[in-house]
Amino acid sequence: MSAVISTQNLTMTYGTNTPFEKSAVNNLNIEINEGEFLGIIGHTGSGKSTLVQMLNGLITPTSGKVLLRGKDINENKKELRKVRFQVGMVFQYPEYQLFEETVYKDISFGPINMGITGDELNKRVMDSARFTGLKKSLLQKSPFELSGGEKRRAAIAGVIAMDPDVLILDEPTAGLDPQGRDMLLNQISLYHKERKNTVILVSHSMEDIARVADRILVMCRGNAEILDSARNVFAQGEKLEKMGLRVPQITKITQKLKEKGIDLPDGILTVDGAFDSIVSLLKKEGKLR
Amino acid sequence: MSFISVENVSFHYDNNDPERLITENVIENLNMKVEKGEFLCVLGHNGSGKSTLAKMFNAMLIPTEGKVYVDGMDTSDESLCFKIRSNVGLVLQNPDNQLVASVVEEDIAFGPENLGVPPQEIRKRVDSALKAVDMYDYRKNAPYKLSGGQKQRIAIAGILAMEPRCIVLDEPTAMLDPRGRQEVMETITRLNKEHNITVVLITHYMDEAVLADRVIVMDRGKILTQGTPNEVFSQVDLLKEHSLDVPQATEICHRLKNIGVNIFELPLDEEGCVKALWEVLK
Repeated sequence: MSAVISTQNLTMTYGTNTPFEKSAVNNLNIEINEGEFLGIIGHTGSGKSTLVQMLNGLITPTSGKVLLRGKDINENKKELRKVRFQVGMVFQYPEYQLFEETVYKDISFGPINMGITGDELNKRVMDSARFTGLKKSLLQKSPFELSGGEKRRAAIAGVIAMDPDVLILDEPTAGLDPQGRDMLLNQISLYHKERKNTVILVSHSMEDIARVADRILVMCRGNAEILDSARNVFAQGEKLEKMGLRVPQITKITQKLKEKGIDLPDGILTVDGAFDSIVSLLKKEGKLR
Repeated sequence: MSFISVENVSFHYDNNDPERLITENVIENLNMKVEKGEFLCVLGHNGSGKSTLAKMFNAMLIPTEGKVYVDGMDTSDESLCFKIRSNVGLVLQNPDNQLVASVVEEDIAFGPENLGVPPQEIRKRVDSALKAVDMYDYRKNAPYKLSGGQKQRIAIAGILAMEPRCIVLDEPTAMLDPRGRQEVMETITRLNKEHNITVVLITHYMDEAVLADRVIVMDRGKILTQGTPNEVFSQVDLLKEHSLDVPQATEICHRLKNIGVNIFELPLDEEGCVKALWEVLK
């Protein structure tokens, strides 16, 4: 698999040469694969947000490089605009960035700025609305008439409409209720499956990450501590807890049962997974028909 | 007598406010009570009216119809407003919106200063509030350099220094990482159990609701169901129908029970779940 984005000794230090000097990202070397769903977790202040903002050139690193398909994005500042079309970024609480008269116009803002017009523009708006689960009837409404969850989806649709090769979402489910959260995560998964684009999801919710991510990057104090499959990452419960993180409740439960000698597979990440394993175990032992 | 009493309350936001285009009732003929010293949790999906309810507990919002009484005081009586707010403190979701000063201890002193508390007394209150949330060592720090969980604990200390009898927290952990959430939840539980402060916690996190004495589930401005965490979370299907979750520990056992596995009582936490499943699988 080829890397869509890779970093070379990527470092970002805030307040250099002041008493407040703080390195937010430290000599980071990672490769993000073409088409993968990468989750990023880490405690507050671990450097997650700084890292993702460097990936699309919003922050220029103090040293080191971000390579997009092998090309240093900061080499030519005039090209950065193009980089941002290729690496789309959805910030925390993106609904505060809606501004147009109608939802349709708001979603088309990005593609129009890329020079897209006519049928192609319409197709992009409609596609992004579908990917984010926005009803057609909402498109002609003012974004400020929508509910919180709908606003959030409209804002995400605006980024998807630019058809970025890499979609970065920073805490997209914060503040949503369980149903809004599940719906949004399902839509993002669907988008990832259909478009086969790279998706990077930053989240504090281990349950969310466990459900959708193929691989997980664990950040701690500006370092990339672990970069591995979701299963392998959540198998390291103790290490994660030392870094102020935890594993999903269901993972912990199945791990404890395993320690007691129950024959369950390693790294169960979801309730569905646990249910299937327990049912097949009960059937095998003849305790369930 | 109950500490807070909500009697036949309905509420709708002002039609003239362009931010609020909803004109129907957000709260619909609601009756409920908060008892002295209890830890009450209010659950509900977005738009269920739970934040509106929270703001009525300290006279930030006044019911359109019906009455809210705090310790016998009518919240619609403007002359009692100050007294009500010094009894019921409100902590909100985003800690950055609640901190006012550039030094932690000055931030904590802001509330009591405005209540006209004498300086020596303020000093005492600031120190004890900071100790209560375990942030005394940070008293000379700048709030903006603290972590989210620490900032939220400072916000809670700022409320504590006003010596309220009740603290209402509206999704205080929504923006925090797992460690920050744990810090804040431990602080809240300790204040309730050791300092005997009445706590009303509004949250989306079911694992937090499990810690409460009583849980109220709101839906469309009404109470959908209420009871102890055990009673509420055993109604898995009802909660799911109303876009709410149950803890993963409860869900797995509920699903197994539904296909005929022998589980009597649905567990609420990790430990209970491991125990229940061990009984079945051993």
